[in-house]
Amino acid sequence: MIEIQGLVKRFNDATILDGIDLTIEQGEIIVVIGPSGTGKSTLLRCVNFLEQPNAGRIRIGDLDVDVARASKKEILALRRRTAFVFQNYALFANKTALENVAEGLIVVNGWKKARAHARARELLARVGLGDKVDAYPASLSGGQQQRVGIARAMAAQAEVILFDEPTSSLDPEWVEEVLGVMKQLARERQTMLVVTHEMSFARDVADRVIFMSDGRIVEQGPPSQLFSAPEDERTRSFLRKVLATQEAL
Amino acid sequence: MNALDVDYMLGLMPILLGYLPLTLQMAAAGMVLALILACLMAVVRVLAIPGLNAFTLLFISFFRGTPLLVQLFLFYYGLPQLLSVLTQINGITATIMGLTLHFSAYMAESIRAAIVGVDRSQTDAALSIGMTRGQTMRRIVLPQATRVAVPTLMNYFIDMIKATSLAFTLGVTELMGATQKEAAGSFLYFEAFISVALIYWGVVELLAWLQRRLETRLNRAYQR
Amino acid sequence: MRHMLSAAMLAVSLGLAGQAMAQDDDQTLKVGMSGGYFPFTFVEQDTLKGFEVDVMNAVAERLGVEVEYITANFSGLFGMLESGRIDTIANQITITDERQKKYAFTQPYVYDGAQVVVKRGNEGIEGVEDLRGKTVAVNLGSNYEQLLRELPYSDEIDIRTYESNIEQDTALGRVDAFVMDRVSASQVIKEKPLPLALAGKPFSDIRNALPFRDDQAGRELRDRVDRALAELKEDGTLSEISQEWFGSDITQP
Repeated sequence: MIEIQGLVKRFNDATILDGIDLTIEQGEIIVVIGPSGTGKSTLLRCVNFLEQPNAGRIRIGDLDVDVARASKKEILALRRRTAFVFQNYALFANKTALENVAEGLIVVNGWKKARAHARARELLARVGLGDKVDAYPASLSGGQQQRVGIARAMAAQAEVILFDEPTSSLDPEWVEEVLGVMKQLARERQTMLVVTHEMSFARDVADRVIFMSDGRIVEQGPPSQLFSAPEDERTRSFLRKVLATQEAL
Repeated sequence: MNALDVDYMLGLMPILLGYLPLTLQMAAAGMVLALILACLMAVVRVLAIPGLNAFTLLFISFFRGTPLLVQLFLFYYGLPQLLSVLTQINGITATIMGLTLHFSAYMAESIRAAIVGVDRSQTDAALSIGMTRGQTMRRIVLPQATRVAVPTLMNYFIDMIKATSLAFTLGVTELMGATQKEAAGSFLYFEAFISVALIYWGVVELLAWLQRRLETRLNRAYQR
Repeated sequence: MRHMLSAAMLAVSLGLAGQAMAQDDDQTLKVGMSGGYFPFTFVEQDTLKGFEVDVMNAVAERLGVEVEYITANFSGLFGMLESGRIDTIANQITITDERQKKYAFTQPYVYDGAQVVVKRGNEGIEGVEDLRGKTVAVNLGSNYEQLLRELPYSDEIDIRTYESNIEQDTALGRVDAFVMDRVSASQVIKEKPLPLALAGKPFSDIRNALPFRDDQAGRELRDRVDRALAELKEDGTLSEISQEWFGSDITQP
């Protein structure tokens, strides 16, 4: 179980996260939606400590961190229990697909190279890239790179995988293959916190959808409820706009 | 003018080549030390470590802003007058020191640019899987920065080889000093300087060849 | 990385060790020279030779000490003297008022004159008085620049100072003339394949000697070397060396 309490993040004078409370059950798939600039990505980055939050608590299993006073050790421990999938893939350009996936196992978990590579091969096969293990990122398509990115996150065996708009940078032709991998993970009940604009994914896969605006959680609920009967005017207005565009496509 | 005295050149070449090792040793020692110093300064600059950063900026400003010859004179002749222990520094050491400090100032900025040029999100990705800052630098950022910096650093090394010719001013007979003295003895300046030019050129071409091989290796990951 | 570092350390410490051996040895007279001033000091087939070398060898033999020659660009020699890396400079150093204020000189061991040298066939310059409006090369750090500047019409002379190769640039016509001491100028013209000619008579008396640091130890060493020079003049060794190199005695006024 993951518990986030009163998470606050300020950049200079602007408050980006204004007291986020969120509990994620083991195996739960949560999709975060909302207008751009409302702090969705910042929420993920704060959970992973890629941004240092200003206040709040993050609890993952028996690890309980007061974010304002987090020690280096706690930050590392927190990062090791969370994994991140980036909008622009962020693969290590100097390493092959296999090495990208195995890197964390070797460096962080201290696995022997052979064991890490075997595991990486297995994961790459699961995301459908069994034939691309020795390819460098520059020679892969966007969709393939993002699938390597997901395999890398899977390798960490984290309690939760954080997806930060994983399909936003992709050409339309690659979106489905990435969503397909994510759906498969969801079926395996991998705990996921996903920021995305793919409403169909939210509707089909999420256990819970969270609507964020201006640094706060405005409303949340199962997709059927949130999409068909949103309570807040901001949610309604956002959904009208987004669904109109996406259905037009 | 007479025709080129080829026999003289053929006789001179082996003599001059005898001074090549010293030239290369000074340049190699200067390069290694300059690389270490430049990497340290680049990291100080990238991480903007307070205090050290300001000192590094001053250091870079001075050693880029003054000619190498002036710096060599300062180390070799100036400092010993302030601090007599420094008389112990001989011309070779002073030259290596001068090359190190002078070129590290240039190289620090190239290395810094190369580090900064590595996509920031890769650092995020490394940190996100639980790697430490040090591991991220060593395993992800520096290998990529190296590839970007290598051509520039090789140019500095080539420059450094040629800059060792200033050592003769500090009483070190290296390749260029030997040439000047031999030319003074024979008055065959043209022949002597052609000979030494061919030697420098040959060395630099050899290095350029090594550089191309190194770059091919380093670029392997980036072929589409 | 560790290998590279230790290699560099080794190189540096080798340099330091080499220096330590050269230092701290009272029985060695350390003589600086440019190695680029024919026929006083020059290199042939990797061997340092010349009038200065022969004179200093004779001086060292007379004093019963070893002599070590350290060659450097002329512009570095006085710095080496002042920072204590050499004991004296044997490079036809002319006694001037300015230098006498800073250094302790021995008695002169070469008497000479400043000589204008031009490219062969240049009839326009027949002496120092014809240098008006001309471009004239001198060696950096030599006192010929000073001599030219003392001429009443020095404003009209374009003086170029060179680190080396003034003979070459005169022969190539890049400058109209150069000024150096008469003795070595004659030697250059006689022995080397450059189309040069003396222009007129020498225009200034020149006395060359060995400079030492003007401190107690420097002056003591100067006194010892000075006595040795006097003895070498007395017993004819100096004129013998001069005859060998120049066919005349330049060690007497």
